Amino acid sequence: MSKLGDYTILPIAIPPSSAFPKPATHTLYLRPHAPKIPTDNDSRSLFVVNVPMDSTPAHFKAVFVSLIGAGRFESITFEHENRPSRAPNSEIDVAVKKGKKRKRMTNEETIEVDVELPPVWDRELRRSGSTALVVFVDQKSVELALKAVRKLHKSHAKPGKWPIWGEGVEDKVPALGSARYLTHHKMRYPGHAMLQANIDTFMTDWNKREEEKTRLTKKQRNVPDEDGFITVTRGGRTGPARIEDAEAKRLEKEEKERRKLEGLSEKPFYRFQLREIRKAEQAELVKRFEEDKARLLRMKEKRGRFKPER
Amino acid sequence: MVPFPAKRRKIRHDDSGEINSENVSEPSENDVGKQPTVLPKRTQEVAESALYSGGLYNSSMFKLQIDELLAQVQLNYEKRMHGVDEVLRRLKTLIEAIEDRDMLPISDATKLLYKSHKIVVPFPDPKPDPHAAYKLAYQKPSKINVVGSYALKTMIKSDDVLSVDMVVTMPASIFQEKDFLNYRYFYKRAYYLACLAAGVQSTDHDEFTLKFTYMNGNTLHPILVARLNSKEKSDSSPLFEVHIIPAAPENLFPESKLRPTKNSIRPKQIVEKETLAATPSPFYNASLQSDCNHEPYLKLIYSCMKQASGFKDACILGRIWLRQRGFGSSISDGGFGHFEWAALSALLLKSGGPKGHGLLSPGYSSYQMFKAVVKFISTVDLASKPMVCEAPGFIPMKSDFPVFYDGHRGQNIFFKMSPWSYRLLRDEATTSVEMLNDSTFDQFEPMFIVRIAQPLQRYDYLVRVPIPIGSSRKTCCDHESHITTFSNRLFDVLREGLTDRVKLIVIMGDNISPWLTKSPCPTISEQSSVLIAVLFDPINADRLVDHGPPAEEKKKAAKFQKFWGEKAELRRFKDGSILESVVWSPGSAYTIIQDIITYLIKRHFDTDTSRNLTFIGEAFESLLPDNGQTRAFEALRQAFSSFEKHIRDLDGLPLQLRQLSATNSQLRYSHIDIPIFSPRQPLEEPADVLIQFEGSGRWPDDVFAIQRTKVAFLLKISGLLQDFDNTIKTSLGLENEDKPMENCSFLDIIYQSGASFRLRIHNEREHTLLERQVKDKVLPQHTRDEALSALSTYKRNFLQLPLHTQSVITHCTRFPFLSPAIRLVKLWFDRHMLSRHVSDELVELLVVRIFLLPYPWRAPSSAMTGFLRTLLFLSKWDWRSTPLIVDFTGAMTEEDATSIKTRLEAWRKIDPGMNRTIIVAASNHDLTGTAFTDKGPSKVVAARMTALARSACKLLKDQSLDLTPRSLFATSTADYDFVIHLAPKFTGKSTSQNSAKQKFKNLEAQSELDLELVGFSPIKWYIDELEKLYGSFIVFFHSRKADSAIAGLWNPQIASPRTFKVNLTYASKPTTDAEREEVGLDKASILAEIARLGGDMVSRIEVHR
Repeated sequence: MSKLGDYTILPIAIPPSSAFPKPATHTLYLRPHAPKIPTDNDSRSLFVVNVPMDSTPAHFKAVFVSLIGAGRFESITFEHENRPSRAPNSEIDVAVKKGKKRKRMTNEETIEVDVELPPVWDRELRRSGSTALVVFVDQKSVELALKAVRKLHKSHAKPGKWPIWGEGVEDKVPALGSARYLTHHKMRYPGHAMLQANIDTFMTDWNKREEEKTRLTKKQRNVPDEDGFITVTRGGRTGPARIEDAEAKRLEKEEKERRKLEGLSEKPFYRFQLREIRKAEQAELVKRFEEDKARLLRMKEKRGRFKPER
Repeated sequence: MVPFPAKRRKIRHDDSGEINSENVSEPSENDVGKQPTVLPKRTQEVAESALYSGGLYNSSMFKLQIDELLAQVQLNYEKRMHGVDEVLRRLKTLIEAIEDRDMLPISDATKLLYKSHKIVVPFPDPKPDPHAAYKLAYQKPSKINVVGSYALKTMIKSDDVLSVDMVVTMPASIFQEKDFLNYRYFYKRAYYLACLAAGVQSTDHDEFTLKFTYMNGNTLHPILVARLNSKEKSDSSPLFEVHIIPAAPENLFPESKLRPTKNSIRPKQIVEKETLAATPSPFYNASLQSDCNHEPYLKLIYSCMKQASGFKDACILGRIWLRQRGFGSSISDGGFGHFEWAALSALLLKSGGPKGHGLLSPGYSSYQMFKAVVKFISTVDLASKPMVCEAPGFIPMKSDFPVFYDGHRGQNIFFKMSPWSYRLLRDEATTSVEMLNDSTFDQFEPMFIVRIAQPLQRYDYLVRVPIPIGSSRKTCCDHESHITTFSNRLFDVLREGLTDRVKLIVIMGDNISPWLTKSPCPTISEQSSVLIAVLFDPINADRLVDHGPPAEEKKKAAKFQKFWGEKAELRRFKDGSILESVVWSPGSAYTIIQDIITYLIKRHFDTDTSRNLTFIGEAFESLLPDNGQTRAFEALRQAFSSFEKHIRDLDGLPLQLRQLSATNSQLRYSHIDIPIFSPRQPLEEPADVLIQFEGSGRWPDDVFAIQRTKVAFLLKISGLLQDFDNTIKTSLGLENEDKPMENCSFLDIIYQSGASFRLRIHNEREHTLLERQVKDKVLPQHTRDEALSALSTYKRNFLQLPLHTQSVITHCTRFPFLSPAIRLVKLWFDRHMLSRHVSDELVELLVVRIFLLPYPWRAPSSAMTGFLRTLLFLSKWDWRSTPLIVDFTGAMTEEDATSIKTRLEAWRKIDPGMNRTIIVAASNHDLTGTAFTDKGPSKVVAARMTALARSACKLLKDQSLDLTPRSLFATSTADYDFVIHLAPKFTGKSTSQNSAKQKFKNLEAQSELDLELVGFSPIKWYIDELEKLYGSFIVFFHSRKADSAIAGLWNPQIASPRTFKVNLTYASKPTTDAEREEVGLDKASILAEIARLGGDMVSRIEVHR
């Protein structure tokens, strides 16, 4: 079987290891890239589904080199590498940009702003069953690759015909296993000097952004938009109040109001109120009794434990 | 002007009339308010019963449950007791047909009976003198009656063979006036019984199986047990047996002669007569009287049932209550069973109250009557204050034995109780009164349902003592079996020797099983032994020195020396006093009490006995590293307080410090391993600590930025700490790299002593910011989900953990055995590879609950009982519908409990498949009950937990005292789909063990390597990554303590093939069926991935399925 719907199946031979000596094959599903919103590189991109957990560009390069020869593979992007905003912030779009870009141009000068904390792993892992986008040098390479896979399917060669996973990349990627965790342990503690620099840059950046934000809101307050409306924003001459403080104040007020009302209703003034309260109490008692009865019935249904243990 | 006032007056008159009429009606309403039991007529029937149950019962739920219980235990007489009446009639005919036997001397009579029927007369010890002057005879019984529960219809369902009591009243003509003396009555009774046996046996050999047994284990009361041999072979064991009991006619002997203060066994040697004649023989007397009282008590109880409507049900409740606590009429079961309960209740209806009125009123409901009797048992000490009813002028003696003398029938109804069984009964009653007074939690189940007879769950320490043969010195002239004499002495010695180290000492003997009529009565064999069970007083149990009287008090000092022998020594204490004292070598409560018991038995009995003692109980604590000593945690606690002081003393903190709180199990006495550290060997797992500053407006208004700002703060603290003391090593680490809304940084602080802490900053603004994001509908769903998850982590780590830690610390100091019990339960979870799913805090809550709500027991006073009762709780806990509620401060109300229950019900309604919030574990700090269970256990794990606990409890029930504690911790990996075996190099704490081996002094300084490895845990990270990658379809199991393997279970739901789509969450491969274009889970390639990720850490993957 070489196709599954639109997808071409590419089995990859997984070399056996001492821990898991059984030879296994991993199935990749390939398709020419055709996203809903087209981009420039679509024609020379190949959409890959179900990439192995330990995929790296080197791995994929090796696979395609073995299929269609060297010099055709350009790059690969994995599912979560192009992830959306890391810092959700509803207020303003500046925040959204921040996580996405490692290098960012500010107004006048070009400075390198590394707002991410230093990485703590030397190699990313891929979620089971996730996808990737392989970009080749030209459109022909995509067709060539798919053709090569089909050809492999047709030639009823020995099991060894499929590309072997991780062949020739051993020394190009960081090792897994204990070495990975030892590196992780080291990378977790990047050193105080580096962290200080990192946090200083972050703070400068952050402050700049905050300033920009204030400027923007100020501007919004003064300048009407294209429809001629002026957006109402927080803060005036005195500067914006903290939302929490405002909320706390509001809650306090509500509480006060509520207590006042309660105080009124607590002490009944008329006799009919007393009577009603008593009636309500009695009704409550009856209700509780009925509830208990229902609960008991449920306990009984579940073979509730009414038999003394033996 | 005149008509107007008149009119007005008239109006006034009307007004007042109305007011009057209202005034009349008002008092009745007030009455209702005061006394809910007096009901206005208009109330509907439902309301009536609601009020009724609210007043006369504990709560309406309690009443409903009692009603249900009574219906459940109700015996189906027609089915269960089918054919009893015919058998009884048949036996009656047989007995009535027995021929009279003439007066014969003892030797002739026994010989003749043995010759003709092969029956050995079951004479009590001492055996009668064959040349005695009196003669034995048999004459037709004056009456044959059925008595007991069968006659009164108060039997309850039971697995045991039910017994029907048939009383054969011997004619007065065969007795003489002085027969109450020196066993003469009992010899005649035994002979009479043997004749009855002969009579029943002679008619038809196969109709009945006949055996002798002692009624209630009383060796003065042999009776005949008749079992019908069924004709059809199919139903092999009959459901009932008939006890044929020879009885004396009412008032055969004068009541005054057989009072507990009288002596009826005259010594043989006349020389000793003067000294011993006055020693009373209460047991003998009461045994004789009880033979005369079968029918009178039947009548009394019957009349009470007629008189008081709640009496019968109260008796059944009492019967269940006693049985669940292991009490029974038999001497070995404590000598207080349902008969004694009924008799006591009946007597309390007539006396015991103020001014000679009854303590109980016939109008009481069954529950009220039951509770009043339990309360009576708990509050009135009948040993130090004996009670007498209807016997004017009789003053009983004080002793260790309880006395409740029924003058009308001339019998002490507590006569079979021993001092220890009476104490135990009162203790149980006191606990039960507390239970009934608990208004927050429903105590129905521990009250009547739970059976608490399992010794390992009930007592802290058990000792098996072989009974020395023949060495008993008789101390009194009352009738006592050898076991009783031995037990009594043992009890006296232990009580004096163990003083306040123990709360309770109980001695349990074996029952003598029935024997065939042709063999002689069994005697004590060499194997027989008694079991001593003690309950520790946790505060005093491990005291090293016992103080005696001061040296000046010569008499007392001499007595002390005589008791302790060479162990007693005179010591001078710090306060200047010179006291007789006994000193024990240091150890745990177990070793010290073991030393004391061994020494006392050696001194007061003999060396052989002391050598053959078997001690059961300490094996559980020794499963823990360092035998579960709570002290081992103190070093870290002290290091923490000095750390706290350092932080407080720091000058130049950017903000005012509010508090430093511990959140790690190593800092709350509940970590499995004790935290060991030394300058050469730093604490491997840094103890988590939170630091909180006073609120400030300078924090950024954004969660993400707050997390980053914390880095700056921590760097500042680190700098300050190092300025303060440059031997302190600090390093700032990063965490939660893929969760930007959660805390991202921590500061590891390693002291030169080796103590290490992991400091995180708590900023309370995160709470509001996250909450706002969760509620913000503008944000995309996945962001809100992230915020929700971050919020729950925040609440758990920063709000709940400090409070939880504080509460656990408080209770660990309050209950010395809480800490080892928690650690044992954690070890159990860990050994069964569940510790990754069941959080530390959940285990702690579970065990704390066992200590705070221990009913039907008291709070555990040993690690063993704490552990085993937790397992029992787990085995019964229906987490599907019942929340775990821990009331740390005792301040919870019923409303709180109800609201938690309601919340759980709501969860189940939203999510009937139970995909989330499987266990609700609420406490005072967290009424939602999800703080520590949000991330697990899942349904699979919770079900496994219950299954494992059940099998553990079953093992305990089957093996009881022979249980090997280790077997409860043994686990098998056969149930899992695959097992990842880890390379030995990476398992265990190999790094630290290696470094510990080096002993060169010059290497004592902290080496860089040791410091770098603080917090290094590759296996944990490996599993964390596995869970992140495959957690959606594989459940991983791992034991931290025995971490040689990781086990996995595939989620069975995704095993079936499905249509291919892009967003599958697992690696797939096309199915072999090409037509259908479906894909299935690619297990082999996933396992290969797991092997690749583990690399050199994985030695082998074993696939089961």
